[in-house]
Amino acid sequence: MASTSSSTPAAEVEVEERCRKRKRAARAAEPAAPAQPSKWRTRREHEIYSSKLLEAIRVVRAGPSAAAGAAAPAPPRGRAVGEAADRELAVAARGRTHWSRAILASRRRRLQAAHRARLRAPASPPSRHDAAAASASAASASAAAAKGTATPPLARKAKVLGRLVPGCRKLSFPTLLAETTDYIAALQMQVRAMTALAEALSAVSATSSPGAGSSSSSSPL
Amino acid sequence: MSSRRSRSRQSGSSRITRITEEQISDLVSKLQDLLPEAHLQSNARVPSARVLQETCNYIRSLHQEVDDLSERLSELLATSDMSSAQAAVIRSLLM
Repeated sequence: MASTSSSTPAAEVEVEERCRKRKRAARAAEPAAPAQPSKWRTRREHEIYSSKLLEAIRVVRAGPSAAAGAAAPAPPRGRAVGEAADRELAVAARGRTHWSRAILASRRRRLQAAHRARLRAPASPPSRHDAAAASASAASASAAAAKGTATPPLARKAKVLGRLVPGCRKLSFPTLLAETTDYIAALQMQVRAMTALAEALSAVSATSSPGAGSSSSSSPL
Repeated sequence: MSSRRSRSRQSGSSRITRITEEQISDLVSKLQDLLPEAHLQSNARVPSARVLQETCNYIRSLHQEVDDLSERLSELLATSDMSSAQAAVIRSLLM
């Protein structure tokens, strides 16, 4: 059941394609009800996310050295962990929210751009610009008929908020509020899970690696 | 694809949904409930602008926390050599 992505960008692109098709079929089958923010508080979601995150960062640890091509921009490892965490969070949302789709879409575009750049000899296209332009056009196309506005002082703050939540720049005010609610609940779970993972990792590495610098404490008595 | 959004669910057959103040304030209060208690009293009426401002600040702080945790996790990964047995131990600690 656990579908872990392999380390090469090409394989990752394929995995993303398959995930996208599966999600599209699932979305067509289920009613498009907005996600309930309270699900991010359940123990089950926390456990699922934690174990997927653990697998993902193990891949990150093994991956970049094997997969780095000449043109593929390898993010520094700290950021790679963060991106894996965001990706797993977006996957956990099961494609029902704007922000989760935006995270997955921009990541897929970046992987495809890097993949295409490796296939073609000339300089790689600025994938970040591509992702931003593509996601803006996709968002404006879907939100073109959106109704619902806010009073001017709220509109300013709503614009700032729309920039903070991924994929929500051009949504109507009520939709933006609903997306934000879900996004915050998801982020809270992400922080809880990553904190627990860091605690667990530091506990395991403290006990198992002898003489790791300063903490080679010989327990007194 | 946009026709399946919750907009059409709210008002039966009409295509244009009137977004009421009540709906918006309801959404804002749901958002307010998520914010940490230290900033806002959840039972007091707080102006929506304040809620939005606190929300922006809160999201930024959450992003920062995630970035810090990512750094910390990557450092921990660099120093520890995780075998599959250790991964099983970690997983059991998480559950």
